[in-house]
Amino acid sequence: MNLDAAFWIALFFSTLRQTTPLLLTALGGMFSERSGVVNIALEGIILFGALTAAVVVERVEHTLGPGPHPWLPWLGVLSAMLVGGLVALVHAVVSIKYRADQIISATAINLLALGAPSLVLTYFYGNATNSKEVANRLPLWGPEGFALSPLVYLAFLLVPLSWWVLFKTPFGLRLRAVGEHPEAADTLGINVYRMRYIGVVLSGILAGLAGAYLAIGFLNQFVRGMSAGMGFISLAAMIFGKWHPLGILFSTLLFGFASALAIQLQGTEILPAVLVQAFPYVVTVLVLAGFMGKSRPPAAVGRPYEK
Amino acid sequence: MGVWKDRKRLGILVALGGGVLLLLWYLAPWAVPHRLFGGEGVLLSPFGHHLPQGTLPPGYRDGWLSWVFYPSLVWLALTLVLAWTPKPARKLYLMGILGLGLFLLTYLLFQASVAQVNAGAERPILRRYTLGLGSYATLAYSLYLLLLARLFSPGGLAFLVRRRGVVVPLFSLLLASLLGGVIVAVMKANPGEAKTLREAAMLKLDLITYTYQLLYSPLVNPSGFLQSLLLATPLILTGLAVALGFRGGLFNIGAPGQLILGGIAAMLVGVYLPGPRWLVLPLAILAAALAGGLWGALPGWLKARFGAHEVINTIMLNYIAASLFLFLISSNEYKFFGYTLYLPFKYPGYEARSYEIRPEARIPHWTELVAPGGELSFALPLALLLGLLGYFLTRKSLGHRVLLGLLAGMVGYLVGGFLPGPAVNFGPDLTSVRLNGAFLLALLALLFFHFYVFRTVGGYELRAMGLAPKAAEYGGVLSGRKMVLTMFLAGALAGLAATHYVLGGGIDEYRLKQSLPYSVGFDGIAVALMGQNTPLGVGLAAWLFGILLTGGLQVNLQLGISRELVAVLQALIVLFIAAGGFLPRYFTDPLRAAEVELREESRKRGEREETP
Repeated sequence: MNLDAAFWIALFFSTLRQTTPLLLTALGGMFSERSGVVNIALEGIILFGALTAAVVVERVEHTLGPGPHPWLPWLGVLSAMLVGGLVALVHAVVSIKYRADQIISATAINLLALGAPSLVLTYFYGNATNSKEVANRLPLWGPEGFALSPLVYLAFLLVPLSWWVLFKTPFGLRLRAVGEHPEAADTLGINVYRMRYIGVVLSGILAGLAGAYLAIGFLNQFVRGMSAGMGFISLAAMIFGKWHPLGILFSTLLFGFASALAIQLQGTEILPAVLVQAFPYVVTVLVLAGFMGKSRPPAAVGRPYEK
Repeated sequence: MGVWKDRKRLGILVALGGGVLLLLWYLAPWAVPHRLFGGEGVLLSPFGHHLPQGTLPPGYRDGWLSWVFYPSLVWLALTLVLAWTPKPARKLYLMGILGLGLFLLTYLLFQASVAQVNAGAERPILRRYTLGLGSYATLAYSLYLLLLARLFSPGGLAFLVRRRGVVVPLFSLLLASLLGGVIVAVMKANPGEAKTLREAAMLKLDLITYTYQLLYSPLVNPSGFLQSLLLATPLILTGLAVALGFRGGLFNIGAPGQLILGGIAAMLVGVYLPGPRWLVLPLAILAAALAGGLWGALPGWLKARFGAHEVINTIMLNYIAASLFLFLISSNEYKFFGYTLYLPFKYPGYEARSYEIRPEARIPHWTELVAPGGELSFALPLALLLGLLGYFLTRKSLGHRVLLGLLAGMVGYLVGGFLPGPAVNFGPDLTSVRLNGAFLLALLALLFFHFYVFRTVGGYELRAMGLAPKAAEYGGVLSGRKMVLTMFLAGALAGLAATHYVLGGGIDEYRLKQSLPYSVGFDGIAVALMGQNTPLGVGLAAWLFGILLTGGLQVNLQLGISRELVAVLQALIVLFIAAGGFLPRYFTDPLRAAEVELREESRKRGEREETP
């Protein structure tokens, strides 16, 4: 087994592909936590997004025929974002309006994401584990051999964009204020509840996008449990990245690299695949245990606000 | 002034309930005396409508319906009127009890009508017969009346608020079931053709009713009953594993991983340690608890030492445990940087599974416990009896009482083992259920939880840490150490759940297999929340989910709805409990609950002073 240039190039592109869903989700988690709401439901929301994208595209193909519809994958992406936002809205209502324990409410959504897809899949396809393959996947942009899904570019573009939104706009200032000191923000006339709803729903939209990328960008179908802990890893990356877009970029690249390495090493005789698969998870535990500087979460995160 | 307002509200609530009842009486079937395997049936309703799907035997007489229907109408009218008379609560109590009687009458008359047809026949002609939603609506309305009557008599609200630990989970279960009904209605087309809107509604409502009847059918069917206990066994243990964490203010989502480690340890001891049964079996069980405990203690330590949040760490450790588990049993040859590592654990063949557990290390099947050698044994009942006597009849410190109880239990077990019992034969339906001694282990774990959390200093500290970590620390709790210990115990409980599968052969074989359903660790979250982190609650919640999971199999077989319906119900229950059942705040907030109780208390006192 020689590690030649082809190996490293494949590793590089694989890293970009693996980073994309993590980056999208971690940026979403950042908006939610900056507003003061923990959202570990992102794991489940990725699944809901993936399911929506795959089923919507497949159903439209079922009625219109398979023939190439360039707009169709984008419809899948939009519907995944919509559903992601709606599921996040459930979490938001329960944890903001009804002041539920945010982790329990999110866990409920994650549990739902384990069961509900099977019901939908059984309804449409009579099989509980995966959807039918779709013909219209997201296109690939870029030079031959190095082409990437548009969502990859989008994810990396979102880093400066969300930095600008969070730190250079009044909206971002309000969002951060609500997460740091809701009482003070309220005194200044900021609607705490509305900012938190926006933060949580935004995180759901981004996680839904990540799901769409998995289902119709990375693969061409929904597979049960396909998020494989990405939502949780993203949250770890967000903590590691200190709730800052740039930090999140680097930490998700680290996790993406770990996953890519695991994939590239599979089938080689360097390390057994079953163990290598656990690599990103081990990295997460190590990172959380403090092989990182001190990081301080938004002061009011996880605490329901009462007027 | 307040009284009149209350009475008006009561009248409106009764009227609303009555309206729904009337609608359901009209739209839903009252009884389904005959049903095909796919759920289609003959729907009986007193509004003169039979939907013929399948045929009724010619001898069936449905005259009993009018015997029930007209009294029911009178009863409904009475409730509506009585709600507006002065002092309505007591009258509504009476009406509620009368309604229960009416439901009982319906049930008995229906059973009689079926029995009358089945009487002469060699094999019963009507086999799948059930009451319909119309009859159940009577029952529900009666309970609703009783609830309203209690609520609107003095101190009623305080009565409910004090029992919020029961009210919130049950109300959430009700809400989840309603939503589940909608899901069923959307997912499954009507089994027959409907000519009118009413017929369509009737078919839909019957479909939903039948789904829930199947889900709860293990309650009335012996083998289903045992099966529900079988499925409850691991749920009790993982539920306790999560509940213990909650009590200590920690969220243990790591039960699946802890269960896997427990399974691996149980397999290692059970397969490879030779020795007599009295030594190997306890060691294998202990190994499972220890391994699960250590795997749980790891995130506890990471939190105590580095402040790493236990939620993400326990989840990550689940994935790592799953990898380790596959590594051990999916192949015996691995390449590391060109070197080859040989492992001895995988049994030859395609499937990823370990070697069989040695017979000495197996947890006995329930028939061996209840009736070893085909003869009913008094060992367990006597052990239970003497154990309880030993505990309750001594007047010493708790430690002494528990010890005496245990000793007396052991004596009872030995003595009972020697008593001769009558021969019994359970039949293949019951003996094929793989319920095993792990169920007793789960019950013991419930007892352990109760004594540790509510009767010891350690448990007191644990609860203090959960309720107010800073106050606990100030009060002298070493919170870091306590955190690790709590997670260790929680992990040990989850690890024990694996003994049910590996040592007890809970699924099909006495092995560690790839099909080990470690996701019951996640179900433990639902169990703990539904059971409100009390041992009794966890036991009952686990049993409830055991029933639903068993019934889910029938739903899948007969109606073709995925078994995951139960998983969705579980998730909805968790969501609704998290939201406090969408009930007013005094049901979720202890301070406001106390306020309500005090207010009602003083109002009651005021009324008592006014009356004489």
